[in-house]
Amino acid sequence: MAEDDPLEPTGIDAGSGRATDHDQYLSVDDVPDIAPTAELSWRTRIIESIPAKRRALKYVVAITIAVLWIVPFIGLFMASIRPLSEIIGGWWHLEGMTVTFENYYRAWNYSTAPMGQALLNTFIVTIPAVLVVMLLGVMAAYPFARFEFPLKTTLFFLILLVMAAPPELIAMGNFNALREFGLFDTYMGLILIHIGWGLGWVVLFLRNYLLGIPEELEEAARIDGASRYQIFRTIILPLSTPALVSVAVIQFTWVWNAFFFPLVFMRSPELYLAPQVLPLMRGRVQVEWGLIAAGSIMTMAVPVLLFLFLERYYKRGMVAAVAD
Amino acid sequence: MVAITLENVSKYFGETVANYQVNLQVTDGEFLVILGPSGCGKTTALRLIAGLEQPSEGAIYFDDDRVDGRSPSARNIAMVFQNYALYPHMTVAENIGYPLKVRGFSPDERDEKVEDVTSLLHIEDQVEKKPGALSGGQRQRVALARAIVREPTVFLLDEPLSNLDAKLRQEMRSELKRLQNELEITTVYVTHNQEEAMSMSDRVAVMNQGTVQQVAPPQELYDRPRTAWVAQFIGSPPMNLFQGTRRNGSIDLGEAGTVDLSGVLEAKEAVVETSERDDVQSTALLASDTQGTVSLGIRPENLTLASTPPPSGNVIEGRVDTVEPMGEYILVNVSVNDQIVNAKVSDRTVSRGDRVYLTFDTNDAYVYDTNGDLVA
Repeated sequence: MAEDDPLEPTGIDAGSGRATDHDQYLSVDDVPDIAPTAELSWRTRIIESIPAKRRALKYVVAITIAVLWIVPFIGLFMASIRPLSEIIGGWWHLEGMTVTFENYYRAWNYSTAPMGQALLNTFIVTIPAVLVVMLLGVMAAYPFARFEFPLKTTLFFLILLVMAAPPELIAMGNFNALREFGLFDTYMGLILIHIGWGLGWVVLFLRNYLLGIPEELEEAARIDGASRYQIFRTIILPLSTPALVSVAVIQFTWVWNAFFFPLVFMRSPELYLAPQVLPLMRGRVQVEWGLIAAGSIMTMAVPVLLFLFLERYYKRGMVAAVAD
Repeated sequence: MVAITLENVSKYFGETVANYQVNLQVTDGEFLVILGPSGCGKTTALRLIAGLEQPSEGAIYFDDDRVDGRSPSARNIAMVFQNYALYPHMTVAENIGYPLKVRGFSPDERDEKVEDVTSLLHIEDQVEKKPGALSGGQRQRVALARAIVREPTVFLLDEPLSNLDAKLRQEMRSELKRLQNELEITTVYVTHNQEEAMSMSDRVAVMNQGTVQQVAPPQELYDRPRTAWVAQFIGSPPMNLFQGTRRNGSIDLGEAGTVDLSGVLEAKEAVVETSERDDVQSTALLASDTQGTVSLGIRPENLTLASTPPPSGNVIEGRVDTVEPMGEYILVNVSVNDQIVNAKVSDRTVSRGDRVYLTFDTNDAYVYDTNGDLVA
């Protein structure tokens, strides 16, 4: 026989005594259910958890950036809960600190433009601007993702092109158009402007997400007897929930925080939105930092809460839309 | 229950020819398997029957109704996809009930039918789960349940078992076969796995490069492959084909030896009922003055290996290249004229480098002409 004979047993199996070779194997019962935990002293554990130099350096850089990022926010928050006399010397002096909600109360009822009313106004503009964009966006994105129609690429390119235009430049045209239609200084006009500006990125975003839904699912539904509309409603919409939530959160934040559009298109002080009201709180004699800070925190709180609330879905939608 | 007829069906995607002049009849209640290598157009053929694609040319009939141009839902077909295509946001029960729901069945009727079909497929315990929580085999069963719940007239399956592990595949194979026998639905099953094709089908349609090569019951496909291509596609390992020159009533295989052609032809004629065309060609092949190349085909299981030249009969000479012990048999790869020839043998008596002699029974030999058509 040749030396590399594959049929000749080699290694530990070779030779006689095959009848007793079960000594060489483990029974499946001997395999532990969980991996054994390493027995380590506290000392070694602490030593092991101290990062190496390179790693430590990375941590330092990361933590520094994080602190830089969050310091202004902390300052704003501190200013909002302390009386003006304490802020003047710098919010970082902690001795003798008094916590008060006076600023919030005053901002909410501020005479020229009460924050309470402004927040309500902002909701009135933001909610329709978000819902309509979601609905129209997904209805426009679906054909771009699935159907073949003439000028599809051209139209899609056009949508992208509009996104590249600077709002400040177009605002003049928008301004004239709204005056023509009698929608200047109305919420309807402002909502329409927001919808128009939002649709571009929403269609692009949702189209990318929809492309990731396997076509097989729709084919299966077609064979099962569903119409195009039924497929859209019972398969596509439910599966797009994460992406729609992402769109809602981003568009909400965008519309809510928008300063430029309300500034240009809203004139009557009683109709002012929250970001517009903030600069009015400066006061006459001296800058009322506490008031502005409290107003800013209240304005910010809404999108932040929304984001925290929907974070789980939002992340899923973002990952799927970007991954494809 | 219907019979399906494809008449000269071609499908082009831009410049790509996916199917070309496919003619195929599936009789009522038959289990037909379309078998072919990847990219041969078998899935496109299935999608044409389903109505997911419309043919570029030709006609498709269900019984006497011409159905090409109709939507999938108007054809009352059911299809199981390779990746199951279960709706991930619905529970198993909702998935199975979906075809009934969109067709306007009442909720009570729906529940009843879903219950029936889940018990038929032994997935009653899974109905509240989402597809993501199921194993591959269970998903497969849900996909089958969704397909048969509304009692379709045609059942289409696109490589349904290819995502399962070997043991489960075996299990589902017999399960599918049982189901098809019980329901007697006309079934078209696409696969590239010849084992599946052979074991499940009533008939197999072998496709290559967008067209049908041969339609035959599994045994006939194995015993009498119509072309050299089919011969090399069916069987594991595939049939050995020797290129040779036809000379004086025999096939000259160069250094490896000579095979008596008349013997092969006579043996074949005794066994297989040859058509008139074959007869003419056989005679032509035997004529001693004609020359040309032919292919001699012998399956690995029909080759016998000997270390010494046998006294008589047809002998092909070669050198052992590698030996692969498979447990059930030993596969010996023999190098003949720089070509590797597979032989299945039961005992290991040779090793690499040995000079060996391959013999075979003339009954087991096939002769293909230059076009690759079977002549004997």
